[in-house]
Amino acid sequence: MNRTLTPSPESFAQDPWKARIDRVFARALVLPLLLALGLLALLLGDTLYRSVSVQVVRADMGPGHTYPFGLSAEAILRQELLAQGYTEEEADFMLQDPKERSALFLQNRVELMWNTHEGPFRYVVTNVYDKRVADFSLAEGLRRWNELKANLQEGERLVLNPWLDQTFLTRPPSRSPLTAGIGVAVWGTVWVLSLALLLAIPVGVGTAILLEEYLREGRLSRLLEVNLRNLAGVPSIVYGLLGLALFVRGMGLGPSVLAAALTLGLLGIPVIVVTAREALRAVPESMRLAAFALGATRRQVVFRVVVPAALPGMVTGVILSAARLIGEAAPLLLVGAAAYVPFAPTGPLSQYTVIPVQIYLWISQNQPEFARVAAAGILVMLLLLSVLYLLALYLRNRFRREW
Amino acid sequence: MVSLEQLKEHQTVRTEPVPESQALVDVRHLNLWYGPKQALYGISVRFPKNQVTAIIGPSGCGKSTLLRSLNRMNDLVPGVRVEGEVLYEGVNIYDPRVDPVAVRRHIGMVFQKPNPFPKTIFENVAFGLRLMGVKGSELEDRVVEALKRAALWEEVKDRFKKESGLRLSGGQQQRLCIARAIAVEPPLLLMDEPTSALDPIATQAIEDLILELKKRYTVVIVTHNMQQAARVSDRTLFMHLGVLVEEGPTEVLFTKPKHPYTEAYITGRFG
Repeated sequence: MNRTLTPSPESFAQDPWKARIDRVFARALVLPLLLALGLLALLLGDTLYRSVSVQVVRADMGPGHTYPFGLSAEAILRQELLAQGYTEEEADFMLQDPKERSALFLQNRVELMWNTHEGPFRYVVTNVYDKRVADFSLAEGLRRWNELKANLQEGERLVLNPWLDQTFLTRPPSRSPLTAGIGVAVWGTVWVLSLALLLAIPVGVGTAILLEEYLREGRLSRLLEVNLRNLAGVPSIVYGLLGLALFVRGMGLGPSVLAAALTLGLLGIPVIVVTAREALRAVPESMRLAAFALGATRRQVVFRVVVPAALPGMVTGVILSAARLIGEAAPLLLVGAAAYVPFAPTGPLSQYTVIPVQIYLWISQNQPEFARVAAAGILVMLLLLSVLYLLALYLRNRFRREW
Repeated sequence: MVSLEQLKEHQTVRTEPVPESQALVDVRHLNLWYGPKQALYGISVRFPKNQVTAIIGPSGCGKSTLLRSLNRMNDLVPGVRVEGEVLYEGVNIYDPRVDPVAVRRHIGMVFQKPNPFPKTIFENVAFGLRLMGVKGSELEDRVVEALKRAALWEEVKDRFKKESGLRLSGGQQQRLCIARAIAVEPPLLLMDEPTSALDPIATQAIEDLILELKKRYTVVIVTHNMQQAARVSDRTLFMHLGVLVEEGPTEVLFTKPKHPYTEAYITGRFG
């Protein structure tokens, strides 16, 4: 062997190729992150862009349909709704609610007219909707703003319409994109999610405690573990099928909030179990030993030391799984999130719709303005999700522990 | 070097054995297995009241196992099996009628690494008392008393109700763990290498504390550090490969060891 024993500076020299490969490698690892961030920004930007448009609108008071003398006001309104394109069921449904009915009477004024061309006494319905004359994308609308303004007809006005406004958050859905709102779907989501978590938290956390603190390395524990992992990987639509067969049909709950909550609850359980177990596992064994050495029973060790110590992690997991459940549309389409629900749920057996289902339904409408309504709906959902994620992040940092 | 077969036949060398009347704990023919592996071989030894007994020996010799069988902490290890008797004030704690949870309430334990709960200093010390149902002003008095006895009171008296036990320094955390263990006034305090994770100054504080504690409590301490055993203990046990090789008053064991392995260990020839 011919090796120099005294080192020279060269023996510590950097291999330029290795250094270069290192640099390239480090940069290459950043690429996917940038790609993901870029796509996310693109998605958000596109949604924001689509949720605003330039519109020419006219407060339309034009004569609506006329109806023969002798009909009740209710019957006239019903016929008017049919003429506007609602189905009979929808019309009946809308007329059942006193609040909705009075709103409909305000929007469709029924007036007794004298001497119309169809005969002396007639009822005439006047629609007081804002009628859309034209709708332009933000870019086109702003580019042609002056031209459009110059060409406005009598009674028309040019508006920059942010579809996501205050009333959008409270209005019920509608056949007309201009009056469609997400209020009912937000309440539906609140109802379904709260009931789902009411089921999933005790079951999920309880299972995690059982597996992590009581069964430990048993055969049963391993069996449950494998099944839980499989359950967490089952596509959500399969849970929808289960919910349809078990809750909607089997238990006869029908397309109700409760059936949806049970279905989503099942969907949420595996995620909660996995995160809660991780939180429990992060509690050092020395904590348990310390409590045992002080003469605590297993129950006291678990509920006075381990669970309190793992609580921040568990709460974070629950929030993250709630965020996942908020975005679920597929299983709820199966268990009957109804297409048109004019009212917020009033109880566990009410009909309901949720935000993602409402967005899906808007996107599948063929009027182009509904794409804008859907964009506004997506923004609401993203906002809700961001709030949840920020909450999870806050809790994680606030209660971070050094063991 | 000694083989396990030879050692198993070995009779413990005893100098000035503890008379039964002075013993708080009397271990008789204790054998212990972890699954198929035997960890303790026929240990018989008495721990005298209000004295400090140190257990020394090389890694894996079973000193922690012996310590943990004194308060049945080994029961928490799956697959453990125990033969023999451990008499605590004359009662065999391995009697089937004895609840290990109740045993642990009478015997305090301090671990190698400080392990305060992620709770306030007050709640840490109050934990064992709360388990015993102590409440209100008595709880508060006894927490303060324990902190004073653990020589931690002066350092934490203005913040002990608010600050988390985890915010203390390593040495303070260990004294907090001692306070937590002695708050329930256990006659016997077990310490499993209580200073091995601490710096020399914190170690000094804990050693001073042990000398103070022995006035009220009986202490059994496992240590890797032979100087520590020499400094704090009245009696010393030397273990090797799960066998109690020699026991006796500390100064005798360290100055005139009778067994060649004891001598080899304390002079640093193995271990």
